Amino acid sequence: MTLERPATTESSPLVEVRNASKWFGPLMALNGISLEIGPGITGLVGPNGAGKTTLLKLLTGQSQASLGEIQVCGHDAWLAKAKAHVGFCPYGDATWDELSGRRLVRVTAGLHGFTGAEARRRTESVLETVGMADRADRPVRTYSKGMRQRIKLGQALVHDPDLLVLDEPLNGIDPVGREGLGDLFLRLAKAGKAVLISSHILNEMDHLADHILFVCRGKLLASGSLETIRDVLDDYPLKMRISCAAPRRVAPQLMALESVKSVTVQPPEDLFLEVQNPNRFYAEFGEFATAHDVDVHRLKATDTSAEAVFDYLMERASRPE
Amino acid sequence: MENTPPVSRFAACSQVFRLTLRRQFFSRQTIVIAVLIGLALAVTVLLSVFLQGERNRAVDHLASRILSRLFVGFLLPIISLAYASSAISAERTGQTLVYLLSTSVPRPLIYLSQYAAVLLLTLGVTLGSLASLCLPFGADGWVTLRVFTPVVTLATTCYVGLFLLFSAWVRRATFLALAYALMIETLTANIPGVVKRITVSFYANSWLYDDSSPLNLNPRIPAYDPVSAATAQWVLGLASIGLVALGMWLFSRKEYD
Repeated sequence: MTLERPATTESSPLVEVRNASKWFGPLMALNGISLEIGPGITGLVGPNGAGKTTLLKLLTGQSQASLGEIQVCGHDAWLAKAKAHVGFCPYGDATWDELSGRRLVRVTAGLHGFTGAEARRRTESVLETVGMADRADRPVRTYSKGMRQRIKLGQALVHDPDLLVLDEPLNGIDPVGREGLGDLFLRLAKAGKAVLISSHILNEMDHLADHILFVCRGKLLASGSLETIRDVLDDYPLKMRISCAAPRRVAPQLMALESVKSVTVQPPEDLFLEVQNPNRFYAEFGEFATAHDVDVHRLKATDTSAEAVFDYLMERASRPE
Repeated sequence: MENTPPVSRFAACSQVFRLTLRRQFFSRQTIVIAVLIGLALAVTVLLSVFLQGERNRAVDHLASRILSRLFVGFLLPIISLAYASSAISAERTGQTLVYLLSTSVPRPLIYLSQYAAVLLLTLGVTLGSLASLCLPFGADGWVTLRVFTPVVTLATTCYVGLFLLFSAWVRRATFLALAYALMIETLTANIPGVVKRITVSFYANSWLYDDSSPLNLNPRIPAYDPVSAATAQWVLGLASIGLVALGMWLFSRKEYD
């Protein structure tokens, strides 16, 4: 499988969800969600029961929305035409365990309508891509969790889909395996694919996702890059860490800046700040550092991680309206 | 990869067919069926040995007791349900159905391909075991085989349609199919009255009891009131088509967890 950036980059989203709701009897699993997914890695984050799996089922055509529309590459996600553009790596270990890894991918190629030499070529190419070419002749039942994830990823990629939907792909994978799979997701994203990853491992999302969808109780709480979402949470002061020479001297001067709410000194060289308006702070701090000749070694926001943003969003969502 | 890869819907359906055939054949059901057929075969061989000098009696026993009662009345629905009721529900309980439903094959065609695979396998087993039960009786056995073959073929087609519909409908389809086979097909089909007309075995037996049959089989219970062979063939044929169409419709609309 060749992973190359496509010659033309389309600006229209691959996935469009408009006002999608889903009921299971009296239970409302999704409540009027609207979102778009384009090329790159999108993280889908939310607590258990938030509606992540329901959303993935709708996107992959396993379920139909009770209300609203879900389009994948311009087709209703429920229809077979849309599924030709989607690769799905479901949660859990279940596969056709009696088959070998190579046979499993080959069967999936066949299920997508590829035959003979083309099916073989795609199978070998995708096994190479997921790093399983040398272990693909063993039955899947003998595979470790990481190998299963890779082979499941292989079957999802064999028809070269535009949208790759991965439900907890890093669950149970060791750190080395996670790094390998993460690199693969990044390569796929660079090749112009839309990769949607549902995960509860929030710190992985920091490194991987360009865009994050936070869902809770069937609603989309926020969508965008972590920085953008964090900026919008202006009722939660941004926490910053500044490493510089002579922090005790700099601390009172920093308190004079309008955007700074509090400063804590942690010797030998760290300052921890709470900042009300990040953009204003960055402008003020630039001028301040130049004017006072501050030797800054490091300037870093400490609560823009997916986990921190998620906690803020959850706290905000739990407030009475 | 190229933007317009050569894909074939027929190839995709044939992959569903091969996968279903393989998974059903290499399953526990095949072992259970082999044991049941082995027992029936042992009874048949013993019968042929004991009644070696009484040719007419032996053939009569084969047709009326072994084939009509044991095979058509019990083994045929059991073999059909073993393969058909597990085809979709086993994929569902094994959480592998999602892989079939994620492909670009339209759901009705997935169902139809699975039906074709299960039907081929079930017909292979039922007709193969029918032949093996008839063979020990020599030339008379061949006559009996010729009479039973079309009946078993059409009844199998109908049973597979019914039990595959169960499989698409409920998660534990095998339990439902077993309850149906034992309560409805076996019990109801052997009591007087019109209720038995909802069973497949009634029409299969009616076909066998038809006057045109060279075996001269008769109902075992009074007031059985069989329909003609032609009616039985129409009912079994139309029911098969209707059950497959209903299954395709259900499978194309149902959301599986």
